[in-house]
Amino acid sequence: MKVKVGMMSFAHLHADSYAHCLLNNPRAEFVGIADHDLRRAQQKAEQHGVQAFDSYESLLASDVQAVIICSENVKHAPLAQMAAAAGKHILCEKPLMTRLEDGQAMLTAARGAGVQLFTAFPCRFSPAFQQLRAMVQAGEIGELLAMRGTNRGVNPGGWFNDPELAGGGAMMDHTVHVADLMRLLTGQEIVEVYAETNNLMYHGNFDDVAMLTLTFEQGIFATLDSSWSRPRTFPTWGDVTLTVYGTRGVIEMDMFAQYLRHYDDRAGRIRQVFWGDNIDALMIDEFLRAVAGEPATTLATGEDGYKAAAVAIAGYESIRRGEPVKV
Amino acid sequence: MPYFSGNGLSDTCPRRAGNLSSVVNLLTEDAMVKVGIVGLGTMGRQHAEAYRQMPDVQLSVVYDRHMDRAEAFAQEFGATVAHDLSEFLKGCEIVDICTPTYRHTEYALAAIQAGKAVVCEKPLARTLQECEQIVEAVHRHNALLMPAHVLRFFPEYRTAHQLVKAGALGTVAAVRMRRGGDFPRTKSDWYADFEKSGGIIMDLIIHDLDWVRWTLGEVERVYAKSLTFRHLEHLDYTLVTLRLRSGTIAHIEGTWCDPGGFRVSFEICGDAGMLEYDSQQMVALRVARRAEAGQAGGVEVPESPAVENPYYRELRHFIDCYRAGQSPEITVEDGMEAVRLTLAAIESARTGKVVKF
Repeated sequence: MKVKVGMMSFAHLHADSYAHCLLNNPRAEFVGIADHDLRRAQQKAEQHGVQAFDSYESLLASDVQAVIICSENVKHAPLAQMAAAAGKHILCEKPLMTRLEDGQAMLTAARGAGVQLFTAFPCRFSPAFQQLRAMVQAGEIGELLAMRGTNRGVNPGGWFNDPELAGGGAMMDHTVHVADLMRLLTGQEIVEVYAETNNLMYHGNFDDVAMLTLTFEQGIFATLDSSWSRPRTFPTWGDVTLTVYGTRGVIEMDMFAQYLRHYDDRAGRIRQVFWGDNIDALMIDEFLRAVAGEPATTLATGEDGYKAAAVAIAGYESIRRGEPVKV
Repeated sequence: MPYFSGNGLSDTCPRRAGNLSSVVNLLTEDAMVKVGIVGLGTMGRQHAEAYRQMPDVQLSVVYDRHMDRAEAFAQEFGATVAHDLSEFLKGCEIVDICTPTYRHTEYALAAIQAGKAVVCEKPLARTLQECEQIVEAVHRHNALLMPAHVLRFFPEYRTAHQLVKAGALGTVAAVRMRRGGDFPRTKSDWYADFEKSGGIIMDLIIHDLDWVRWTLGEVERVYAKSLTFRHLEHLDYTLVTLRLRSGTIAHIEGTWCDPGGFRVSFEICGDAGMLEYDSQQMVALRVARRAEAGQAGGVEVPESPAVENPYYRELRHFIDCYRAGQSPEITVEDGMEAVRLTLAAIESARTGKVVKF
C-alpha cells in the first residue's frame, strides 16, 4: 500500500526537492499540489506530473493521508491546523513557527486530532552527523564542553526578505537546523540565548548577519552563525558545520564537504558539485514509514521543531533587550 | 612609511637571511644597534633569530631567571649574560621583553626609566592598571615603545587588512576568526596559571582582537563564553562575539583544546565580497614526520615559508623606527586597548553579561 501524500504550497525553495523525493520513493503516491497561488499550483503540478487542486480545502478533502507544508513561514500554523482538522499527518517545513503561540496551537491541533506532526530537519539524517552523534554517545571525545556551529547561506531573496511573511530574516531562517542538531547531540535543552544581528550585507529591513550564543542546561556553551553571509559568487548555497569539543578531543563536521570542485568556464564561475547522500530523500522515506505506522527514530517531531524555533524567537528577544535571555 | 607600501615587503632591509657576515663587516661598530632580550623562552628565541639576520643589530645582552638557559642562549647567539637587571640595562639601548605576561610591567617601567627604547611582547601587561602605568611612563619619558602584536606583520593578515581598508569587500558585515591548537606547554607551565597569563582570551585571541580593532575600528560591546573558569587541566576554549561601532559583528574562537595541530583561519564578509583563509587548507609546504618517542609539547609558532618571517618584519620595523626617530605603527595605546578588550571578554565570560564600552 502506497502512502498518499499531497503538498501544501510551493512557496519554500525546498518544495521541489521534496516533490522529487516523493516521485522517486516507491513507498509514495504523490497525489497533488494545492497553493494559495493557483498559477504556481498548476505550474508545479504540471512540472511534477501530479494533480493541481484549486484550494487547500479540496486537497484536504481528497484521500491523501499526509501533507507536506512548504508555505511561507507565517502560514505554517494555519495550514497545519487545517490539515490536522482534516485528519492528515503533517511534515512541516522549518522553522515550525515564528511565534510561540502559533507553535503551541499547531502542537495542540495535532494532538487533538490524533495526527503525527513532524518538522523538516533533514540534517538529522546526514551520515556525517549520525557518525558524529554515535562517536559522542560512545564517549570518544570524553565529556562535551563546547560547540561551534554554522548554517550560513546566500540570501534566498523573495519572501524570505519580507519579515511579514518570514517572521524575521537570516536568524529566523537559519538558526533552527543547527540548534536542532545541537539539542539532539547533547540531549540537553538550550536555556539561554544571546544574539547579535545586523543588515550590512543587504541593507534591508531584515537581519542578514546573525550570531547566536547558546547556553545549555548543564553549562555547555555554543555559538551559531546563521547569517546569509555567502557572497553571490560563493561556489554553493552555503554550509552546515558543527564542531564539538570534549575533554578528550575534537570532532569537526562540515556536513556538505563531499563535493567536486567544478571550474565551469561556460558559467564563468566555480561551483561545488555535491556527491553525498540525499538527506531529503532519507527524511521523506522515514516520514512515509511513519505515516504507514512504523516508528520514527530520526525524524524531528513537532516538539523538536518548536524547541528549535523557540531559540530563534529568543534570539530576536535578546536583540530587543540587548542582553542574554532565557528560552 | 615605505616599509609597508606595496606588497608589504621591506624596502629598508636585506631580503635574504643567510650569508650576511660580509655585510656586517662593512658596518662600523657605531652603526650597530645594541639589543637586549629579557625572557629567553619560545618568543625570546624567535626574536633572537630575527635580530641575527639584521646586519645593523647586535644582540648584546640577555637576561633570564634560569641562569643555565641564559648561558646556553648567550653562547648560541654571541651575547653576554646579565646577572641582574641593572647590568642588563647597561648593556643595551633597546630592551626586548619576552617574559611571561605578568612580568612585563616591571621590565617595561625599568627600561623606560633607564631611557631605553622598548619592544614588549603582547599582551602589553596583565592588568589595565599596569597598562596605564606603562602608557604614563612612555609619555613622561617620551619613550619609544612598541607592543609586539606580530599578527599585524603576518602577510596573510596584513594583506587582508589592506584589502578591507581599500574597500575590496565593500561594507564589512561579519568577521569570523579562529586560532589555536593544543594547550601550550612551557618549563614553568605559566600559561596554565590564569593570574599570570590571563588564560586563552588574554594570551591567544588578543591577536585577533587587536587585528579586528586595527582593521575595523572600535568595539561597542562584547559577549563571551569560555572554559577558562571551569579550571579544567590544560584545556581552555573561548567564543567571543564583538559588536563594533560600525555595526560589524565579529566572532572569535580560541582553542587550547584541539590536538589536531595549530591552526588559524579567518573569513571576512562584506556586501561586495568575502575573503577567507585557512592555514590548514592553504599550505605551501606540508611536512609529515613520524613522531619520535617523548616528543611533545612546547609553544607552537605558526609559520609559512617566506623570505622574511613575521617576527623579522615586526622587529625590523621597530629598529627602523628607532633609527629614524619615528613612531612605530603599533602604539602603546593600541597595546592597552587590546588588553582592555581581553579584560572585557574575560569579564563577560565570568559574569555571563554583555560588557559595553
